[in-house]
Amino acid sequence: MKVLVFAASDKGGTGRSVTSANLAYHRALDGDDVCYLDFDFGSPTAAAVFDLPDVLSEAEGRGLHSYLKGKTGEPLRVDVWARTEHPVLRGRPGGSGRLVLLPGDRTAGEFVTDEENLHRCVDLVLRLKREFDVIIIDLSAGRSYAMDLALAATSPRGGLGRLKNRWLVYHRWTRQHVMAAAELVFGKQGIVQAGTAIGHDPDVLGGSIRFVRAAVPDLESPLWSQVSPAQYAWMRQCDKELEELAAGRGIGRTRVLASIPLEPVLQWQERLITDEDVHDRRIANNETWQAIGDLAQRLTDDKFWGQL
Amino acid sequence: MSGLGTTDGPALICGEVRTCLLPTRRAVDERTAVLLLRLRADEPVRTSRRPNRHALSPDVLTGVDCRLPTATGAKVRAVGTVAAHAGLVEGRVLQSTAYFSAPATGPDRRRPWGYYLVRPGSLVPVGRLPEKSVTEGFLTGHQQDLLDVGSIAESLLARISRRHDLLDHDAPLTTTDTSLRWTASPADDGEPASALFTELGSGRRIVELRLPRGTTPVAAATLCEDLALHDWLLTTVGDKLDGLPPGSENQAAAMKVLRPLVDHLLHLWMPQARLDRALSPPWEELERHPGFSRQWNTMAQRIRDQLALQNLVRGEVPALS
Repeated sequence: MKVLVFAASDKGGTGRSVTSANLAYHRALDGDDVCYLDFDFGSPTAAAVFDLPDVLSEAEGRGLHSYLKGKTGEPLRVDVWARTEHPVLRGRPGGSGRLVLLPGDRTAGEFVTDEENLHRCVDLVLRLKREFDVIIIDLSAGRSYAMDLALAATSPRGGLGRLKNRWLVYHRWTRQHVMAAAELVFGKQGIVQAGTAIGHDPDVLGGSIRFVRAAVPDLESPLWSQVSPAQYAWMRQCDKELEELAAGRGIGRTRVLASIPLEPVLQWQERLITDEDVHDRRIANNETWQAIGDLAQRLTDDKFWGQL
Repeated sequence: MSGLGTTDGPALICGEVRTCLLPTRRAVDERTAVLLLRLRADEPVRTSRRPNRHALSPDVLTGVDCRLPTATGAKVRAVGTVAAHAGLVEGRVLQSTAYFSAPATGPDRRRPWGYYLVRPGSLVPVGRLPEKSVTEGFLTGHQQDLLDVGSIAESLLARISRRHDLLDHDAPLTTTDTSLRWTASPADDGEPASALFTELGSGRRIVELRLPRGTTPVAAATLCEDLALHDWLLTTVGDKLDGLPPGSENQAAAMKVLRPLVDHLLHLWMPQARLDRALSPPWEELERHPGFSRQWNTMAQRIRDQLALQNLVRGEVPALS
């Protein structure tokens, strides 16, 4: 099944880019042709996550931002398997699909959306739809220009209205992040309101949004096995309260697509977690690998989507 | 328009063909094809049914005043229009071509637009055209701030893709678009027409043609579209068969790959369907080496063998939707 995915978050540092990149990697391993668009204008990070050190300078004037502004006819495409410096990724596994990055421009900041770049955005996605099974668009944090563009493009009048599109909203498992994520989606200036104002059906749009909890401490994992009983009880209580808070704000368990556990490797490095990291080098946790795998599976499993 | 290498004709013809699968679940009928390709109100879409179904849009022009790419870095300014058209093969494969012809010399100063507009599809150099350098520069690929015919061809594909009333954007298989950049210069007297075909990877191809004097730009474009279509078919089917699990291991997975190929692509192979006979030598050369049809036939036979085997094993071909 073909799908267009928007990755959003209210705050920076939610693991949006790094988790989305890992998601892209998992889908490609499963045989899908995947492309990843770095719409995080101003601070593009995808090139670093995929271990493509030269791409940032290469994308100068040829990246997505320049394309949307009409400065280049076609945005730069980077074949991740062929170009990455990551030793494991370099050997493209048999049966895997293509994994292509469309990097953003480093120096370009935010800018206002107009009809011209809306058309360019729609043309690009329609083209990529022919060539790829999964298209992941990583948006900047917060209510950004990139998000307005995504909402406009997928609105009934926007040209991508008929494509199957899904939103992933990333947040960390803390009070502030839970409230901010709920606000980003259901708040006055939120995605649903803003989308409705330009012609989206609020129920359909709401049904296409799911939350991804990132860096969630799993209290049963060995990581926390050494804590004192008092600490354990306190953390249990926090977790319970957070769950109640999330449910009260409309982002309870039914709207959660996946929970990515707190992963030491990702705390230290924004990178892809490979099978080798988990099973051979044993630096990453199997739970993390599993959780990202679940996220990748559920992305196109209709059971997890739709109006609630 | 006069032909290549004639006294008042162009010294060089250049263009780029983009080939992709039409983004629809099924191949479209002739009526829909005509609606899709009606890019101008004043000129009709041309359709033909022999030897296969083909529809061709009228040419649309794009005004251009910019530098041409050169191998030496020499600054060559050219003014005029680039012609572009789109074609649809069997209602299934969409192609767009942007191309221009250039005379060996032009006026020393830029003239008013009127001068250029009476020469549709022609880019006139300001001064002399260094043909060899432009040929090489053009084939090297797009450089920033220089003429980019590829994006003209791409914008035509985008324009057609936006017809949401006619296209459902639910193609039965994911395929990679290809681009084929080409140049044609006149062959010397007695020299047979030839094509130097190079595969650059990630869907990019270049073809350097030497064609008989008098060849029209449209005939050259038709040859390149024919090459691009068949190269795209080889690439697409080859990619799908690459790493295909043997049917004995995973029958459903193999069928999922093979079925759309049979339904949508296998019947499209028809080299030289609309080719000017004088332009068949380059094709015949490619048939000898690397052997386009030979490779195609092998792949088609492999697909049929796989299906026949599955049929034998299961007693019937499983019905897959």
